[in-house]
Amino acid sequence: MSGLRSFVARRLLLGVAQIVAVVLLVFALTEALPGDAAVALAGDQPDPARIEAIRTAMELDRPAWERLVDWAAGLLHGDLGTSLTSGRPVTWYLVDGFGPTLLLTALTVVLLVPAGLGLGVLAARYEGRLADRLISSVTLAVYAVPEFALGVLLVTVFALRLGWLPPTAVGHGADLLAHPGVLVLPVLVLLARPVCSLVRLVRAGMIDALASPYVAHALRYGVSGARVRYLHALPHALAPAVQQLARTIDWLLCGVVVVETLFVIPGLGTVLLGAVGERDVPVVQGLAVVFGVVTVVLNLGADVLAHRLAPRAGVAA
Amino acid sequence: MRVRTGRFALGVAVVTVPVVIALLGPVLVGGPPAREASFAGGEGHWFGTDFVGRDVWYQVLHGGRPVVLTALAATALAYLVALPLGLAGALTHRRLVEELLMRPLDVLLAVPSLLMILLVATVFSPGAVGLALLVAVVNVPDAARLVRATATEIAARPAVEALRMQGETWWRIAVGHVGRSMLRTLAADAGTRLTGVLYLVATAAFLGVGAAPDAADWAVMVDRNRTGLFVQPWAVVVPALLIVALTTGTNLLFDAALDRRGRNPGGTCVREP
Repeated sequence: MSGLRSFVARRLLLGVAQIVAVVLLVFALTEALPGDAAVALAGDQPDPARIEAIRTAMELDRPAWERLVDWAAGLLHGDLGTSLTSGRPVTWYLVDGFGPTLLLTALTVVLLVPAGLGLGVLAARYEGRLADRLISSVTLAVYAVPEFALGVLLVTVFALRLGWLPPTAVGHGADLLAHPGVLVLPVLVLLARPVCSLVRLVRAGMIDALASPYVAHALRYGVSGARVRYLHALPHALAPAVQQLARTIDWLLCGVVVVETLFVIPGLGTVLLGAVGERDVPVVQGLAVVFGVVTVVLNLGADVLAHRLAPRAGVAA
Repeated sequence: MRVRTGRFALGVAVVTVPVVIALLGPVLVGGPPAREASFAGGEGHWFGTDFVGRDVWYQVLHGGRPVVLTALAATALAYLVALPLGLAGALTHRRLVEELLMRPLDVLLAVPSLLMILLVATVFSPGAVGLALLVAVVNVPDAARLVRATATEIAARPAVEALRMQGETWWRIAVGHVGRSMLRTLAADAGTRLTGVLYLVATAAFLGVGAAPDAADWAVMVDRNRTGLFVQPWAVVVPALLIVALTTGTNLLFDAALDRRGRNPGGTCVREP
């Protein structure tokens, strides 16, 4: 109905709306509370001095919309505020945790794409045969398992029973690349769910594509099987998979928080969970905005890419 | 067909153990056994003791119920909101109403689910009920979109057109025809959604949201007993295995069951009942 450009324009508009919504939601969920936020945040030690300190630090005496405007204006300039507990700027927390988290997610994505595509194409090629049944059953089963349960079981087997790998990253600080053994189990756990979902999508897309008239036509022309599979069928099978790849960013975020806790890796997930535990609102807000914006941008990119791969697919926008 | 029957049986077999323990566990045992040293093994305790010296088997029997019940409640709640929202969005003739109902959901879809739960947990300390509510809210946008997409497709059918021309009431058309025709797609979605909700509920409890730190809850047990993994692995392995069995079994079961009752969980080719 409409070309690529107007699709991109509409999708960009949605993306901007989503970012605004993320910012508003983060603020609303943490600050625009019914009742006295300072008392709620003081938590288990409702000490009057602490409540007063929180109130001044968060400027709770000013109306909520004024604080929202100030905070949002700060965000635009890269100023995320300062921590309630330590007084350090929130951006420092981000810088501290960024390295390990980026390493974990980058490794996962780098391994995810070939593994997902390879297994998916393999299963589609041997549809209904042993390889397909094996891949389909295992992916279906592992797909649903929470990372922490899978993680502790892997630690029990590979670190405790067999002693092949270290159980946690304790003692290595943020320099994980120097000790690759530490990364094996975390990346494996992080990979499990996204791989399963990607394999299933690629398999389904490939089976549809391989049964389509254009593939039959190409084969009749004598185009080689591998060429048809990878150059003709795969791009069409990829459109839903690319979108799923971006959706798994959501899972990667969940996964990163769990995996970093489980393996004691000092990344953004650990920082976020620590701040949630200490009720350090500015840090939580800052991290939430960063995570939310990253998710929005990646989803946007994926939708545009999926639209480019298969313009008929009618991506929601 | 044989594969699906096999998978169905496998799903039933895998899911039975955790579900039976979760639902009947608290009935089967009496009062709590006396406390002993933490992370002790053997001597009258099947799986030893946990981080504060409680009997692991007793905790396991009690720890399934919160996970299963919270997940079921959250799934039901999500549909309770999503169904009317999606149906109204699909069946209204005013574009403005549809946009007003559905656009905010599109925008909300962008927020990662665990992030939303952690944000709320920063300020409140939600209990089991709070966690169920939160997980339900997180699931509403996606469920409502699915309901709307399915209902729009059905509402465009000649049968609905005919009902409209006969002057049937909105209620009859929406619930009696469109609602009924959607059941199969919804059942398929409910299966995947329940799996996702189980994941979210267990993960949140593991991270300390929605359950007391000493609660009898499989996910909390995994978290709290991790410190003693090298001394007394049973306290971690048993609840972890039960969670794996519960989630995997649920997924296998729904996948096989819906596969057998006609194809396509995607929702594009729903057949007439």
